[in-house]
Amino acid sequence: MGEVFVLGAIAGGIYGLFAVATVLVYRGSGVLNFAQGEVGTLGLFLAVWLINDHGMPWVVGALAAVVVTTAIGVLFERFVVRKMGDAPRVSVAVATVGLLLFVLSGELVRVGASPKSLPGPFSGNGWRIAGVVVSPTQALSLVVALGVGVALATLLRRTDFGLGVLAAAQDPSAAQLVGVPVNRVSAFVWGAGAGLSTVACLLVAPGLGAFAPGALGRLFLFGLAAAIVGGLTSLPGAFVGGLVVGLVEASSGRIFAESSLPGVKTLAVFILLLVTLLVRPHGLFGTRESRHG
Amino acid sequence: MSWLNARPGTRVIVVGVIAALLAPALGRAGIVTDYAALILGTGVALAAAGLSLNLLMGYAGQISLGQASLLGVGAFASGLLTPATKLGLPFLVAIPAAALAGAAAAFLVGLPALRLRGLYLAVVTIAFAFTMTESLLKTQSIGGGSAGINLPRPQVNDFIFTRNADYLGVLLALLAFIWWFDTNVTRTTLGRAFRAIKSDEAVAASFGVNVTAYKLGAFALSGAIAGIAGLMSGHLVQTVNSDSFPYDRSLLLVVVVVVGGLGSRVGVLAAAAFYALYPVLMPHLFGDRILGYDVVIGAALLIVTMARNPSGLAGAIRQQLAERRERAVPTVAPTGGVMAMPKLPSLPRPTALPERPTADGIVLSARDIRVRFGGLVAVDDASIDVTRGRIVGLIGPNGAGKTTLFNAISGRHKPDSGRVELLGVDVSSRSAAQRAAAGLGRTFQNIGLVRDLSVNENFLLAQHTVAGYDPVSALTYFRHAGRGETELRERAAQAIAALGFERYTDTPVANLSIGQQRIVELGAVLLTAPEVVLLDEPAAGMAPAAAENLAERLVDLRNELGRTVLLIEHNIPLVLATCDELYVMAAGRVIAHGTPDEVIQDDLVLEAYLGGAVL
Repeated sequence: MGEVFVLGAIAGGIYGLFAVATVLVYRGSGVLNFAQGEVGTLGLFLAVWLINDHGMPWVVGALAAVVVTTAIGVLFERFVVRKMGDAPRVSVAVATVGLLLFVLSGELVRVGASPKSLPGPFSGNGWRIAGVVVSPTQALSLVVALGVGVALATLLRRTDFGLGVLAAAQDPSAAQLVGVPVNRVSAFVWGAGAGLSTVACLLVAPGLGAFAPGALGRLFLFGLAAAIVGGLTSLPGAFVGGLVVGLVEASSGRIFAESSLPGVKTLAVFILLLVTLLVRPHGLFGTRESRHG
Repeated sequence: MSWLNARPGTRVIVVGVIAALLAPALGRAGIVTDYAALILGTGVALAAAGLSLNLLMGYAGQISLGQASLLGVGAFASGLLTPATKLGLPFLVAIPAAALAGAAAAFLVGLPALRLRGLYLAVVTIAFAFTMTESLLKTQSIGGGSAGINLPRPQVNDFIFTRNADYLGVLLALLAFIWWFDTNVTRTTLGRAFRAIKSDEAVAASFGVNVTAYKLGAFALSGAIAGIAGLMSGHLVQTVNSDSFPYDRSLLLVVVVVVGGLGSRVGVLAAAAFYALYPVLMPHLFGDRILGYDVVIGAALLIVTMARNPSGLAGAIRQQLAERRERAVPTVAPTGGVMAMPKLPSLPRPTALPERPTADGIVLSARDIRVRFGGLVAVDDASIDVTRGRIVGLIGPNGAGKTTLFNAISGRHKPDSGRVELLGVDVSSRSAAQRAAAGLGRTFQNIGLVRDLSVNENFLLAQHTVAGYDPVSALTYFRHAGRGETELRERAAQAIAALGFERYTDTPVANLSIGQQRIVELGAVLLTAPEVVLLDEPAAGMAPAAAENLAERLVDLRNELGRTVLLIEHNIPLVLATCDELYVMAAGRVIAHGTPDEVIQDDLVLEAYLGGAVL
């Protein structure tokens, strides 16, 4: 039981980070960005290149990865999302699918399909909690997840700009009329979403061992499920959703062995997602929407 | 060449048979090598997969990011049936089985689509794809574990389609079959209903399209084609495992469909050819360095397409062509400036229309209708009766609840309480589509037409419920579907001629002026063969002269065409000139009822309109 909780919490922190990235973009422009996970993975390959191949310190490589992917998010917003104006939100989502495939196939061409690995920021054996070895990076990921949550909550609730972010998706034209810098808000959420996804990828990668292009797709999808379970519009909901998905994943892995039912964790999260959408489409903490996607 | 003018169904069958026979012949002659046939076969299977997603996304507008897993369902279904070590059933049995399996899986994926809108549906389909490849297809019993399963080439008596060129013939025949099937979708009520749903579900329902059933139908049909496409590629490569249908293949299919032009069969074929031939031809020309860039290019094009024109390359070309035609045709109305309302067409009764009660008296009755939006009571126990052969007006200040009452009557919104009777039958629990089919036609304030369909296509769509054939016979285009289509096309042509809109037959409705759109909308409603017509502000945005003209036409509607009309209108001269009786609403209640002369004198009415203090 304790083991399930520790495993679930560690994974849940990562899903929470992915989910927060998703929620930010959704709140800021009413779209799901399907490319976030793969853009984060691109950041990983950049970090691998700088840290492993050029001997840069971990922090430098990680920072460069976050900066570059944030820039990709901002550029995509500037040259694609903004161009699409008030086109149906599904069309914008399809454009993010294009970005996902663009990054994925680009990685395959430039990096190749052979797996790479990235060290964590710290060495050390970690701690044993309830029978689970928690590595320093995993501990850090929980701290970062909490820190990001508090920082974002402060930014969004305590600053005018943050309130603008919260207002933007509900009614863009009304937000613009009352002086919300809608374009800056939009650029911010797409950039921050991409950057946060990269942070999540950087924190989860050392624990994965090796990864190839597309390998983090499943984790991102779990983050997406977490965002929907949490309610898509709620930042605390994103973290709670992450925890729920992490716990469902860990406990389903305990109940069924992978050998008897392959991919049982994916199956369990899929069922969680479906039940949420059919029984409570606005999730645990989301608001019922008036605007349709 | 005369065969080019043949019906599209005949043409594709002829081309398919020739191609299917030609491939093995060319193979035996050594012109198509085994390797070339494999490459071509991959392209043919990809085209089939693209057509499956094209039906769902291009026609019905339902997003799917997990189409490749449906291909997997088809391939694995065949893998359970055809291998000699399993059931050893013939290939010909496996085809319908794969179609059925794909349809069933897609149906299940589509179920959430009834409650969820686009973005959520995208998540569900992508999650479904992950679950299939990571879980179900990895199980020993379905997917044969990591080793996968073997799919034997088809066999007829002693002849086995071992050569790739021979099997390519089979693939081409199957693609031709799918193409023919898809043509039957697009040229019948099915395809028009799909495109109406894609554009505007409320408009689709107002023409009698059962939105729920057709959405699920689109998923099932798409899944059936995907199942066959999966079987095609599975028996081509002969071994499949859970990694054979990865989720990035689903995304590539989105590229094939969207860049190919959302709804364009030829575009899908061209995109599939590009992806089949690129890895073979391009390295020849430019070396191995450029391998893999086909997907990069496709993904970039997908982004550019969405950013510039979400209807795809073929959509952009279609738009260009339409604009060129447009320039050739003067858009100025014949009477110079103001578009006069032409005489409304008197159309023959559709042969498929069921008998309806013809007795005089009250044909439409709404009793104690109450609609609340949160705390606001928009319609407060309103009751109205409409007598056959009359024009009944419904007037009142803005926000009085007139359109809300209309929506409750037409079935667009379910009222909190109250009942609606149409031709003496209680229709309170029926859907908007069922009410439309039962003889209730309606227009919308913002024009109830499918904007990106042409005038002719809208007129065909409007006859959805009187087409006289069911969706199943539409798929095969059997004789009576063909006959039904002929009748629809004749009625549509008659209506177009009567309205004097011949030159706009193939013009997308969106390219017409508002006045013209109102005329087309009225024509479309008449084509539904309604008993009662609900008109929601038909004169809105019309010039006074045109509105006067509209009054004559409304009288024609009653006197010559024998329709009953319920009319919401703010144009009081028009109302006084046409209506036999009036209901007045204010703040959700019916506050007055009587002849126009009585109502116009009513103190309550004057107060509601002008405020009591003035008089």
